[in-house]
Amino acid sequence: MSESNLSAIEKVKQSSDSLRGTIREGLANEVTGAISEDDKALVKFHGMYLQDDRDRREERAEKKLERLYSFMIRLRLPGGLLSADQWLATQHIAGEHSTGIIKITTRQTIQLHGLYKSHIKPTIQAFNESKLHSIATCGDINRNVICAAHPQQSPIHKQIHDFAFKINELLLPKTKAYYEIWLDEEKLVDKKDEEDPLYQDRYLPRKFKIALAIPPNNDVDVFGNDLGLIAIIENNQLKGYNIAIGGGLSSTHGNPATYPRLATVIGFVSGEEKILKTIYEIVTIQRDYGNRSDRSLARLKYTVDKMGIEWFKTEIARRTGSVLEKEKPFQFTDRKDYYGWFRNADKLWYYTPFIENGRVRDDEKVALKTALYEIAETRKLNFRFTANQNVILADIREEDKNSIQKILNKYHIEEYTDSISSLRKNSMACVALNTCPLAFAEAQRYLPSLISKIEPLLRKNGLQEEDIILRMTGCPNGCARSYIAEIGFVGTALGKYNLQLGGDHTGMRLNKVYKESLEEPAILQELDQLFARFASERMERETFGDFALRKQLV
Amino acid sequence: MISPEKKKQISEFIDSLDKQEQIWTNGFLEGVLNGTASPVSPVPKVSGENKKITIAYGTESGNSKKIANLFASRAKQEGIHAKLVSLDQYRLTDLPKEEYFLTVISTQGEGEPPSSAKKFYDHIHQNGFKLPKLKYGVLALGDTSYPMFCKAGEDVDHQLGNLGGERIVEIQRCDVDFENEAHSWMNNVIQKISGIQPAAQPLAKPVKKSSGKKIYQGEILTNINLNDRGSSKKTHHIEIACEEVYYKPGDSLGIVPHNPIAAVEAIIAFTGIDAERTFVHRNETCTAYELLHKKLNIVYLPERVVAKYAAHVGLEIQSVKTGLLDLVKRYPVKDAAHFEIFLQQLEPTTPRLYSISSSLETVDGEVHLTVARDAFSIEEELKYGLCSDHLCSLQAGAKIDFYIHHNDQFRLPDDDKDVIMIGPGTGIAPFRAFLSERESAGARGRNWLFYGDQHFTSDFLYQTELQQWMDNGVLHELDVAFSRDQSGKIYVQDKIRQRAADFFQWLENGATLYVCGAKKMSEDVEKTILELVKKSGLQEDAETYLNELKTSGRYLKDVY
Repeated sequence: MSESNLSAIEKVKQSSDSLRGTIREGLANEVTGAISEDDKALVKFHGMYLQDDRDRREERAEKKLERLYSFMIRLRLPGGLLSADQWLATQHIAGEHSTGIIKITTRQTIQLHGLYKSHIKPTIQAFNESKLHSIATCGDINRNVICAAHPQQSPIHKQIHDFAFKINELLLPKTKAYYEIWLDEEKLVDKKDEEDPLYQDRYLPRKFKIALAIPPNNDVDVFGNDLGLIAIIENNQLKGYNIAIGGGLSSTHGNPATYPRLATVIGFVSGEEKILKTIYEIVTIQRDYGNRSDRSLARLKYTVDKMGIEWFKTEIARRTGSVLEKEKPFQFTDRKDYYGWFRNADKLWYYTPFIENGRVRDDEKVALKTALYEIAETRKLNFRFTANQNVILADIREEDKNSIQKILNKYHIEEYTDSISSLRKNSMACVALNTCPLAFAEAQRYLPSLISKIEPLLRKNGLQEEDIILRMTGCPNGCARSYIAEIGFVGTALGKYNLQLGGDHTGMRLNKVYKESLEEPAILQELDQLFARFASERMERETFGDFALRKQLV
Repeated sequence: MISPEKKKQISEFIDSLDKQEQIWTNGFLEGVLNGTASPVSPVPKVSGENKKITIAYGTESGNSKKIANLFASRAKQEGIHAKLVSLDQYRLTDLPKEEYFLTVISTQGEGEPPSSAKKFYDHIHQNGFKLPKLKYGVLALGDTSYPMFCKAGEDVDHQLGNLGGERIVEIQRCDVDFENEAHSWMNNVIQKISGIQPAAQPLAKPVKKSSGKKIYQGEILTNINLNDRGSSKKTHHIEIACEEVYYKPGDSLGIVPHNPIAAVEAIIAFTGIDAERTFVHRNETCTAYELLHKKLNIVYLPERVVAKYAAHVGLEIQSVKTGLLDLVKRYPVKDAAHFEIFLQQLEPTTPRLYSISSSLETVDGEVHLTVARDAFSIEEELKYGLCSDHLCSLQAGAKIDFYIHHNDQFRLPDDDKDVIMIGPGTGIAPFRAFLSERESAGARGRNWLFYGDQHFTSDFLYQTELQQWMDNGVLHELDVAFSRDQSGKIYVQDKIRQRAADFFQWLENGATLYVCGAKKMSEDVEKTILELVKKSGLQEDAETYLNELKTSGRYLKDVY
């Protein structure tokens, strides 16, 4: 690819001195809360986005104040595991340096919003003291590796979870910039120490997402990832993984060249070393063949469609020296979190409360944040995050269960979780306004109230117990995976959403646009009619998504 | 002999004069031909030689200095040896040795001397010494719209007398339109010293009726609170349109605030005074209502006024800061007539001055202000400053009367000179004006601003404008200190300390140093600068260094 065709970000990466750029100078500039354009691209690789409060732009401009800039920081937690001590530390850090709200993301990690520039270093240093970091949780690089969340899903859950850590290690960048800039470690004398054969100086053309799923629950939405690994287990023995490539849910309004795509299963591979080698080379193929001139066409899915599946398989074989086996049969039946108490094969207990859109805070309904803090203080558990923005109070021994239960009772957490409708429990929204720069419409601030208006429509039609997966994103980039929901809302403008129908219940089929740019009254009217038809015309055990397809609604 | 052109001009001029004026002109021409520009018969000239006088001035806005300068040159013309000195440079130990000591001094705010005269003022009030040799005179500048008109001058005049000095001329008090009074005082002094009737100066123009300060009427264009939500402050950026307004960066805008109508009406109701009854107030006929609403201070009465009221009603009143409405409610007057008498003892409302934050070069026909809404508590009740509260509440389209208070002591240097501006909080106002002016002039000199306030996100006044000036190169350095964004407080002086080497380098390079804002801040800043000059190792005597900057007009302050 010729130099001149490279997108601006490609040039920034290459000339960044291993992701250092002028971040240090930018931090020292006290006249602005922002950083330079180039550094904005680079801090992503350090786990941060520069954002601003979009609600406040006009008012601040009138006051001759710059935009209210702040940073979002996201942790790297492969498989979403955090100790009780780390949770406590995170709550302290959130209170001291950010908005105080911990946001559990759709990729099994947590992020804090609203950090002012002067707070970044203290935040990263405090995280570091708790052995937590944010390296490469954003940017054109392998992101947080996610893994089936609930240990009761399989007796070998731990083995698979540990493998997520190995993939994570394999694909971390080698640069020491993070340590130098944020943790004041000494400058490298010998630059050879950070030579990076995988990422070189250009990293990947775009973000790269990996997920590990344990059938029959597809809670991680494995097909929405660039690289999906589906565990094939026989008689509680891990045989290996089916490999799926080219998933990705983002598209751009008005750009028909862009589209959401589910990953294609291309084969099976076994043996840890070989699996790791395969993963590594899939990344190098994307590094070498991904589109570096147009970022909207740079995800692996476009590379796969451009080069073809067969070519891709051949290239993997060429690079790894071994041919992929034929894929093994597998079946997904669900895509959900297990609310309430469950016990795994090791006789450990797990409790999953409902956390609306992953926002851990105290509100008028429930004091979740206080409750979780008090629970963490017992230090008798771990915290595991799910890809549906929930937390599992995990790995609790029989003898400790009661002390956790007492705190749950004290804060009415069970009562609260049980009171939540199926629809709400199966719903998800991205951050969107007021901080996400990409959002056209509201999502997490709006969805709760919209659901409150949809719930009576379901009750009216006797559908309140139905598991219908509903998701909302404020733009077509699909962070909350609205393209693989049974009811998907994709924001097109303030207060307007495309209504998407026909996605299946397990995340194996994309939905399609049913009606474009609807406002709330129209959304409610449409859903009311759809629910009435569904109630009267559905087949036995037919899901809402399948019904929509059968009736050719989309 | 004379060109037809000139003849025509003379004829036209003579035709424009009445009889009396023609006679005067005739005499004047004679005087010119005789070598004195005076129409009166020449008096034998007595030499003022060998007389030594000291003319000392205490100035805030530059008027006293201007007059003192003029006075010195007049004296020299008469052969008098005149030494001109600013009171802050005056060696106090010289005072007992003085023969003739003439003081030109203005009065600030509540009757204080200007800051440059503070040391002198305190010194002469210390007593414990005598000045029996001293012959003195005082020219006091002031503004009749302030209650303590010419107070500082009066104090100096009185105290030099107490110390045994001989008053050679009566004190002359001057209002804002001071030229005529000042000239007649100068003439008196010169006559007393040299014994001669000074020649009439062209400056002593045929008497022009004093018009006082020019009052403009403006219209509010914009009024926005610059502080963001969550700030403990309210600082308003106010744009006022006024076609004919003229000012220079460094000037202030003066406003006589009106009293709240609710209070005025309550006072009238309580005392039973006839709102339409007229009084003569400073040569102007006003109704009781007008006096209470626009002319007199009724909101926060000074202790001396409360004391007067106590005497008037024959009661003992604890002297807290209180308003007239409270007084008439709690300590009623006998009747309307009883109140009318007291009404005439009230003091005029003090005008408030606000540094102008714009330059006519960039906003023709507009004046911009940066006004902090002054909040304070009295007996645990939150109150707002009368004028700032009023200004901050004005909506676009509202009319406002104001005047321009010129300040020649706070001007930009030549375009090729560097400036260092230290202006935290509303202290930034004149520097916004400076930067606008420098930008539009394309000044080559460099500009360095130190700004500070409580919080970066909510209190960074004019942030986007300053960023723009950084981007386009008008502002070369911008150092900011936000005191409450971290555990330890950081102030502008801390930033100066951090940049000590560069700061000193700029001074050495000829930069002019400006400080605007709170007095306490200016003292801390001065201490820091003295420190850094000392530490530079290049200047042995930091005090002298700073004094030299002051004398050469390179260290200017506008503090309050």
